[in-house]
Amino acid sequence: MEQLLEILEDIDPTVDYRTETDLVGDGILNSLSIMTLVVEIRDAFDVDITPQDILPENFRSAQAIYALIQRRQSEE
Amino acid sequence: MNYTTYSYLLLFLGGTFLLYTLVPQKQKWIILLAASLFFYVVSSGPLIVFLLGTTLSIYLSALWLDKLAAVQSLVKKGAPKEDRDTLKRHILWQKRAVLLLLLLFNFGLLLFMKYFGFFCHNVNWLFAFVGLDFELPLVKMVLPLGISFYTLQAVGYVVDVYRGKFPAERNFARITLFLSFFPQIVEGPIGRYDELAPQLYEGHTFDYERFTGSLQLILWGLFKKVVIADRANALVSAVFDHYEQYAGLLIALAVLAYTLQLYAEFSGCMDIVTGSARLFGVGLSPNFRRPFFSRSVTEFWRRWHITLGAWLRDYVFYPLSLSKPFGRLSKAARKHLSKHLAASLPAIAALFFVWFANGVWHGAAWKYIAYGLYYYVIIALGMLCEPLFAKGIGLLHLRRESAGYRLFQMLRTFLLVNLGMLLFRAKSLSAAVAMFGSLFSSAGPSLIQNGVLNTPGIRLADFYVLLAGAAILLIVGILQERGIGVRALIARQPLVIRWAVYLAAVFVVVIFGAYGMGYQRVAFIYAGF
Repeated sequence: MEQLLEILEDIDPTVDYRTETDLVGDGILNSLSIMTLVVEIRDAFDVDITPQDILPENFRSAQAIYALIQRRQSEE
Repeated sequence: MNYTTYSYLLLFLGGTFLLYTLVPQKQKWIILLAASLFFYVVSSGPLIVFLLGTTLSIYLSALWLDKLAAVQSLVKKGAPKEDRDTLKRHILWQKRAVLLLLLLFNFGLLLFMKYFGFFCHNVNWLFAFVGLDFELPLVKMVLPLGISFYTLQAVGYVVDVYRGKFPAERNFARITLFLSFFPQIVEGPIGRYDELAPQLYEGHTFDYERFTGSLQLILWGLFKKVVIADRANALVSAVFDHYEQYAGLLIALAVLAYTLQLYAEFSGCMDIVTGSARLFGVGLSPNFRRPFFSRSVTEFWRRWHITLGAWLRDYVFYPLSLSKPFGRLSKAARKHLSKHLAASLPAIAALFFVWFANGVWHGAAWKYIAYGLYYYVIIALGMLCEPLFAKGIGLLHLRRESAGYRLFQMLRTFLLVNLGMLLFRAKSLSAAVAMFGSLFSSAGPSLIQNGVLNTPGIRLADFYVLLAGAAILLIVGILQERGIGVRALIARQPLVIRWAVYLAAVFVVVIFGAYGMGYQRVAFIYAGF
């Protein structure tokens, strides 16, 4: 989780990702920043995130993103 | 069959609604299917074979993909570990082959029907340029109704099945209804199977509030189309079709009128079709969300033709950005470039294909390609220069959220969008360049002649109706931006006031509608795409 928070803080250091629960709805993440994030996650965690994973509910919060990473890790 | 005609509104829509209400719940979707096929045959005749061909292709390929997915899950569960990877790769290869076949068939058909003439024209030009005495025959195809819209909807369905979002539909008649549903076949919105299909098949009983709400939405759409858009058309055509005769403010006026026309027409059409679908309890995806309140061009495209933007995002931008070549590009960028550039460049590279596709989708002409790339350049420059803008804003002590700065951003976006509209409506790319140059010229007739406003193509009275219409759109837009629903506001009024408003709206459409003697019937612009 710490590694993910570091990646997220790289995108926008002004956001408190531990408490923010609507990253997409609040406009912190959009389709462009999500792509940057996904590329970084794929490299850092060595998981395969595919276009069908790009759903608002998977990127709503740091916890949701982490849950997606764990799901993908368990499938591989 | 045009959505604004009496034959559609009273006979077709009214008749279908009556039948839908009368038949038992389980058979209601069959009425929608029969009505949709009837609508298509009346509008496009034998070209329905293209629609049915696409339907059959997505029906079969989705079933095939479903079968492969079932084998895939069996392999995951039961195959010995040493064989698992090979089998998985083999099935993935088969799934990709099925998808590729489907894409080739449907996009091949669309490209051939829509762009073959354009291709021949350009090849002939090239032959003439190099001095070759050879010409390809110029064939102008008659396009099947809504082919650009239903092809995207069809491909989206199969890609979603490929991605495992939902299982394939097993009933051919149902998938036919999903693709041919009459309110959305002409100009969209481009629907998603998981959102639209269950509503189509469910069967809804009569609901008075839904019924009146639907009629109000149709009336609002008619107001936009018949009172505003069709009236603006005369002014727009007068200037754009004879642009050599005009310059300066008159060109600017025509561009503004075209922006108003296209918005009123396309969003008006969406209101009519959304109201039509809602009569049957079917909610269509919204295609507009007050785009002229956008603070950037990117935001504008999130609010204008929303379903096209979302389709390009989900089926072009995401797969491209997540593909291996783009992954490698991203890695290399992070190694060699600054953090900002490394984050922006891969997205900018992927966006090129999105905007190229957006331009090409709109039509077979260089001006449409230029139109897509115009927005691409603005968005790419905006992304690249973001740190510079941030520095400038800091130096000038501007507050991004202040009302003044927001208004500046909206006006800037409005200006950029209007320049895009000039390109979009001009007769050709060279005409657009000439018109842009004429904007800064004072040759030709002036905006005020003998103390009276010069409004080419329309009478001054028509122009005032246009202005009043634009003002109404603006007021309604401001209210909606503030979270006030106008129809809900009217619904809360006492009966007498409520009905006075409804009747007044009907009279406004009937009296001020630009139809009959002296007006030209205007087909929906987006139906031509």
